[in-house]
Amino acid sequence: MTFDNPTIISADEELIRSLQQNNAFKRKAEEELFNRHAYFIKEGMSKYSLPQEEAFDAYSDTILQSIDNITRGLFEKRSSLKTYLFRIFSNKCVDLIRKKTTIKGSVHQTSSISDMLLMIADSAKTVIQQLVEKTDLDILKNKMHELSESCRQLLAMFADGYNDKEIAITMEYKTPEVVKTSRLRCLDKLRQLYINKKD
Amino acid sequence: MENMEYIDDYFKGSPTDLQKQQFERRIINDNVFAEEVAFYISANRVVKEQLLMDKKQRFREIYEQHKVVPITKQPVKKIWRYMVAASVIAAVVLSTWFLLGENTSPQQLADRYIQQNFQTLSVTMGSKDSLQYILNLVNSGKLSEALTRLETLAQIDPSNKNATKYAGIVSLRLNQYDKALTYFSMLASDTSLYSNHGKFYEAVTLLKRNKTGDVEEAKKKLQEVVENEQEGKEEAIKWLKKLD
Repeated sequence: MTFDNPTIISADEELIRSLQQNNAFKRKAEEELFNRHAYFIKEGMSKYSLPQEEAFDAYSDTILQSIDNITRGLFEKRSSLKTYLFRIFSNKCVDLIRKKTTIKGSVHQTSSISDMLLMIADSAKTVIQQLVEKTDLDILKNKMHELSESCRQLLAMFADGYNDKEIAITMEYKTPEVVKTSRLRCLDKLRQLYINKKD
Repeated sequence: MENMEYIDDYFKGSPTDLQKQQFERRIINDNVFAEEVAFYISANRVVKEQLLMDKKQRFREIYEQHKVVPITKQPVKKIWRYMVAASVIAAVVLSTWFLLGENTSPQQLADRYIQQNFQTLSVTMGSKDSLQYILNLVNSGKLSEALTRLETLAQIDPSNKNATKYAGIVSLRLNQYDKALTYFSMLASDTSLYSNHGKFYEAVTLLKRNKTGDVEEAKKKLQEVVENEQEGKEEAIKWLKKLD
């Protein structure tokens, strides 16, 4: 593979800044991060004797986890980005070898649930945890595809860490308030679809 | 909706201790509210998982695009067969070159290229991306509808250079040359792409349009493609010889 072509963002700092800024350049920065170290896949194949598909899974999960960490300010820059990524990648490769549980298309578990639950005290947390466990995620996923494309995009951008103001700028809404109203309407519609299907 | 807004504000902000207590009390005392909180959390989880799957699919497409297929060694005994076949093909190509090549007009060059490369646009199997849906429209001949959608997509997501590229290609197929040139020029100016046909496609469009000065302009673009070793270089070398 040849991934050494010129790029718009050359230094780690710039790349990190682009990943942390929620705007139209974020997507490009994500792709740049993926491309810059894509040779890890080959290393996963040679060093850890993983098949290409599994090495790819380990690498793309590494990138997704790193993007999440960088966006949330968890990358403390104690090492270079490359070293940081390679450490995560190596751990993922070792996990794959140990567990032999490679599920195609699996992605790293998001921390958004635990983040939200952390904001609730124990007594109420148990109630919510039980209700979340009862939720049929497959139905919810299917119902999400019944939403309009703009609804899906709104919810996806919010889940990706964009705030209402940033969404308004990117998707050319008039104000952040319009974004918020539209986003909550989409969520409400999803809930109605979910309840109707469940009943 | 009111509850949803309250829940949304709670998780987005930094609630005070008092606000936390009020929120938690409602969860314990109000079942409907608790269910809404659980739904809010579950929905966010599902959306995020889908988002990550989409990103992974995007990475896969990028990876597939740049992957070099390993060359497998052919047994020595079989090589002579390929050499004979290659000689025959070379002879046919050379004959065609001498018989027809010199009489090829700029427009014929462009037409042939468009016919061979832009008639059917490749669609990645299994992708649910809206771009793939649009390319299906192109391949089924719904060019105007595809162009409108591509232009919207390029506007919503300016970083999606595939949308820009295909908007140019579809404009060219619709003989909307000025529009095609605008899109290809935008593409050509993007230095971040690994594989950028922008400049070469500008030359194709100019040759196809064939207005006064277009051929000269196209030759300049082709020359730049060759000098900068850009995508389309091999074709550009051949065309420059023919256009001289």
